[in-house]
Amino acid sequence: MTGRIRNPWVVVAAYNEAPMVGSVVSGIRRAGYAVVVVDDGSDDRTGDLALLAGAVVVRHPINLGQGAALQTGIDYALEQRADALVTFDADGQHSPAAIAALLAAIEQPGIDFALGSRFLTGATANLPMSRRILLSAALWFTRASTGLPVTDTHNGLRAMTARGARAISLRQYRMAHASEILHQIAQSRLRFVEVPVNIEYSVYSLGKGQRITDALTILIDLFARRLYR
Amino acid sequence: MIAQLLLTALLTLVLVYAWSAHRTVPIIGLLASGAALAGLYFVWVQEHATALAALVGIGRGSDLIVYIWVVISLLIMLNLHLKLRLQLDMITRLARAVALDRAKESRRETGPPRKRRPVMLGRKPEVPPIELQAKK
Repeated sequence: MTGRIRNPWVVVAAYNEAPMVGSVVSGIRRAGYAVVVVDDGSDDRTGDLALLAGAVVVRHPINLGQGAALQTGIDYALEQRADALVTFDADGQHSPAAIAALLAAIEQPGIDFALGSRFLTGATANLPMSRRILLSAALWFTRASTGLPVTDTHNGLRAMTARGARAISLRQYRMAHASEILHQIAQSRLRFVEVPVNIEYSVYSLGKGQRITDALTILIDLFARRLYR
Repeated sequence: MIAQLLLTALLTLVLVYAWSAHRTVPIIGLLASGAALAGLYFVWVQEHATALAALVGIGRGSDLIVYIWVVISLLIMLNLHLKLRLQLDMITRLARAVALDRAKESRRETGPPRKRRPVMLGRKPEVPPIELQAKK
């Protein structure tokens, strides 16, 4: 452990997450990290509750999508001179304990990204079958289109160095941003590692998660992006 | 003759539209130009339209022209759809810039948040990370 990371920031994109965002932010703050919550035009009190729990809150005036919210959070953290960033879901399915493992991974020399994976040894066991099938299809598509031998494509838990974050410029503002990040990692030629992480599935997080129809939307978004400049 | 002149005027407008679309969406510009030029040709050389229609099993040359018109309309709709996406892209960038500016302003007013020392950084991950490389 070299202790190169001095100013890590956790980026949380949140849209109508009032039931969970307070406890999520509290957990991250208790673990000792600065956190920026991007309230993506929520109709409920997401932003206020995140602020009360100790986060810096950046508010989108209208709902723009998770990819846009993550990019806003990344830009904000870089402006605060963050030397490492962790993206973290607001629905309570991630554990703050995983942040340390991800940051430890990018402390290795030459590594700029640490991607959380549900499918590595020691990771999530209670993944619902429908979600497993959907993720397998996404995995096949991503491996074919990027050449990256990843084991999990749509995991919101990931860490990056400031250099890695500057190489990322999300233009997929909705759910296709997860695939876009992997495309940009492949194009940047920066090195990455996968880190096993546990995902706690609850009725709440499954209700907010992606569906089969979302997979179709993601494919259309990725295709449309290639049609225009 | 009147119909021919009318169709020629409309297809010429499509050609101008295709030329302007070519700058932002090259594939739409190219396809719309091709369809409009084919339409112009068949409007004035109808016997070829009839021969081609018979060859592809449509029946009448006029039907072929209608089908070409439908294809042009679909391409224009696709182009409008892509333009809407482009507008959304610009609105998103604008809204993100506004959000960041407001956050900076409120931070200046309230001062930076109290920072805590990271307590987990020294702990090694329970399962070691697995290094991977992109296929060349």
